[in-house]
Amino acid sequence: MATVLTPKDFATATPSWWCAGCGDYGVLSALKSALADLGLQPKDVAFVSGIGCSGKISGYVHSYAFHGVHGRALPVATAVKLANHELTVIAAGGDGDGYAIGAGHFVHALRRNADITYIVMDNQTYGLTKGQSSPTSATGYVAGTSPNGSAEAPINGLALGLAAGGTFLARGFSAQPKALVELLKAAVRHRGFSVVEVMSPCVTFNKINTYAWFKENVHDIAADAEYDPSDRTHAFDVLTRTGRIPLGIVYREERPTFEDLSHIPEQPLVRQPLTGLRDRLEALQRAYR
Amino acid sequence: MRGHGAFRLEHRIPAVHAYGFARQGVRNSVVLNEIEIMFGGQAGDGSLTTGDLIAGVFKRMGLEVYTYKDFPSRIRGGHTNYVIRACEQPDYGKADAVDGLVAFDVEAVEAHIEEMRPGGFVVFDNTSEALPDGVRRADIFWYEIPLARIAKVDLGLELVRNTISLGVLAKLIGMDPKIVRDDVAAVYGRKGQKVVDINLRAIEAGERYIEEHFAGQPAGYGLVAKADRDRLIMMGNDAIAYGALVAGCRFMAGYPITPATDVLEWMAKYAPAFGGVVVQAEDELSAINMTIGASFAGVRSMTATSGPGQALMTEAIGLAAVLEIPIVVVECARAGPSTGMPTKTEQSNLNHLIFSGHGEIPRVVLAPGTVEESFYLTVDAFNLAERFQVPVFILSEQALCQSKATLPPLDIESVRVDRGRLIADGELTFGEYKRFAFTDDGVSPRAIPGVPGGMHLAAGSEHNDFGVITESAKNRARMMDKRMHKLHAMRDELPKARVLGDPHASVAIIGYGSNRGPIAEAQDCLSRDDIVTRFLQLRTLWPFPDDEVRDFVASADHVFVVENNYTGQLERLIRYTTGPLPSLHSIRKYDGRPFLPIEIAEPIRRLVPTASLEVRR
Repeated sequence: MATVLTPKDFATATPSWWCAGCGDYGVLSALKSALADLGLQPKDVAFVSGIGCSGKISGYVHSYAFHGVHGRALPVATAVKLANHELTVIAAGGDGDGYAIGAGHFVHALRRNADITYIVMDNQTYGLTKGQSSPTSATGYVAGTSPNGSAEAPINGLALGLAAGGTFLARGFSAQPKALVELLKAAVRHRGFSVVEVMSPCVTFNKINTYAWFKENVHDIAADAEYDPSDRTHAFDVLTRTGRIPLGIVYREERPTFEDLSHIPEQPLVRQPLTGLRDRLEALQRAYR
Repeated sequence: MRGHGAFRLEHRIPAVHAYGFARQGVRNSVVLNEIEIMFGGQAGDGSLTTGDLIAGVFKRMGLEVYTYKDFPSRIRGGHTNYVIRACEQPDYGKADAVDGLVAFDVEAVEAHIEEMRPGGFVVFDNTSEALPDGVRRADIFWYEIPLARIAKVDLGLELVRNTISLGVLAKLIGMDPKIVRDDVAAVYGRKGQKVVDINLRAIEAGERYIEEHFAGQPAGYGLVAKADRDRLIMMGNDAIAYGALVAGCRFMAGYPITPATDVLEWMAKYAPAFGGVVVQAEDELSAINMTIGASFAGVRSMTATSGPGQALMTEAIGLAAVLEIPIVVVECARAGPSTGMPTKTEQSNLNHLIFSGHGEIPRVVLAPGTVEESFYLTVDAFNLAERFQVPVFILSEQALCQSKATLPPLDIESVRVDRGRLIADGELTFGEYKRFAFTDDGVSPRAIPGVPGGMHLAAGSEHNDFGVITESAKNRARMMDKRMHKLHAMRDELPKARVLGDPHASVAIIGYGSNRGPIAEAQDCLSRDDIVTRFLQLRTLWPFPDDEVRDFVASADHVFVVENNYTGQLERLIRYTTGPLPSLHSIRKYDGRPFLPIEIAEPIRRLVPTASLEVRR
């Protein structure tokens, strides 16, 4: 099909559940633009999301969308890709979905390097359950479940990603739509597992990490002409240095994907023949005679 | 003990009480084509290979074979035993007693001497330790042979001790010497001619030792070769995996767990040549979600696990049901709860498979009773899953899934792959597709990614027929009706129960799974005493076969439910269906070991008054 699609072609008629001003709108809008810019067709996009405010996003992207159980978007997305590697597979979830209940899968998805894109919509709180502390909340963050302030150190998702073998690690900000579109396009084009963490403020429950706060506290690493995203040591330094939150493609490398190393057939699994195999299947019985 | 009609087998009934075979220590005849051999020693000593060799020889001599692994949950050390049973009847399980014990240490003798049949024999390796006084039962024949020393001194390789024991056995019970040698050559062939040669010499050394030292002491057992019909010898787990591949399964994700790992390993070895992919997931949560993901994308998918993994998968199985995505989940049950006894058998996960999960979902539970059924029911599982877009469980148990048995060749020609209402390219017009359309049988045409016009949201949240999330009361009730209605719509397509024995007998037995063998053998034992029985072997456990069970018990004077668990999980399902049933008795065992036929036959014999044994025609 040669039709040129626009972001609208990736919209559904479903009204949004998000609060007015929620950072997740910026992610949704950037994603639809990126998919259109990449020339993709909705039928060829599988979009998997978890649970939480962020998880609602799959209902708003016209595609083969999957809204599963809490924390398990990555196993689903990985298997969809293995089953049909001709699809563009994108997973999305929040900081709770990805870094708390789903943290185990995050680490193993990084090791596997399947050619899928994972968007972590980070609002540093649990929005859908009305404002508890999350794995990315700052130590001392006061919330319903931490009235005296969170007693835990926040997870640094991208640094964790680097340590676990990530091949594409980027961070965006939902209030910087143009840059976010480009990050998402680069992530989808990356051959391997790409992580895009998006700072996506919760206007209802997180009164600390607000749009204004982010504007003060982020910096674009591309502003540094010398920055080399293939330099792993430098990337780790940038990600773990205290101070401003780095935005942009922090790290990128090429290595064989999970599909390559799993020796998936050229013809996707979903189109493998299930008939006409009698002789070959019979042959397997001979070992038991 | 009889408080609520349950026979609890807290202690194994000593084999000396076994009726029908007892020969009271005096050898006045030779038992033909009926023998159970046990290899006992330390885990990792190689008796598995030798045991499999013997099983192969028995099969080639035309006998029916069943093997049972009683291994500790560790890699090396700890007492272990491997049982090989041969007889003329197909589908029997473990026998009432062990006829021949091959013991590599004193512990093996002490652990199993009570399980031995009077008139049986022990081959004991006395190289490093002598048998203590008082162990030698007088009604057993003893062959104390320095197996390890012969291996080391005469053959220069201690490793072949097991093969010498095979030569000893071959001579004692009359295994065909040519078949023994052919099989040894075939099994060790891949390790090179040198290895084959030393093992052949080991066989000879074993045979010679018996000729030279025990010429006047026959073992009392004999084998008469029958025509070896075309048959297979296969492990239950291999039959499941093979069935999955034949049924078109091209994706499997699993997490290693005893006793289910064989399924994952088999698929990892063979599926890629058929365009399949197998993933070792990071945990069972991932494994089940991957299985669902691959099926969402249109590939026949399965996972295999055991109790602890099954518990972790529970949430996502609800997801599969509500997304109406077909999946097959193999449960190889072991003794629980918690870690329990990972290498021991139990039927205590039935409630879990049927009732687990929050909310209410349609699901299917199938239970093969033999290795052969493990293949065919797996094929059925995939077809039912796609036909009705539901999760289907295959429930096996350690005593079946890790046991080998002889079976007729598996009929691949008869296998039909029914993918149900799967939408092909070009069938849909844009904007109209209702993934969860309301239909007569509750099954909606399913579009998979890549099909134009089939885009939809598959949401674990309640949704309308388009897939859009809604909490509307009217829609909720309709969607529940739609999904749950499948349980009724599928009734005629579910595997039927089998009836074994005399269908008119007044004594009825109900059971499933690995108990099929011991129950069938108990029936044969009872019939020798003119107690005629019929046995309903359930093969679909959910949706529960109410009609079959009601019809079966209606005309019975006594109903015995046989199961390997404490609480009588199957019995309760039956009572729920039949209502109060004073004639219903429960025979339960929960020590992690499979039933012996006598443990089923004896309670029946004790409870059934001889007067009521007439057969109604």
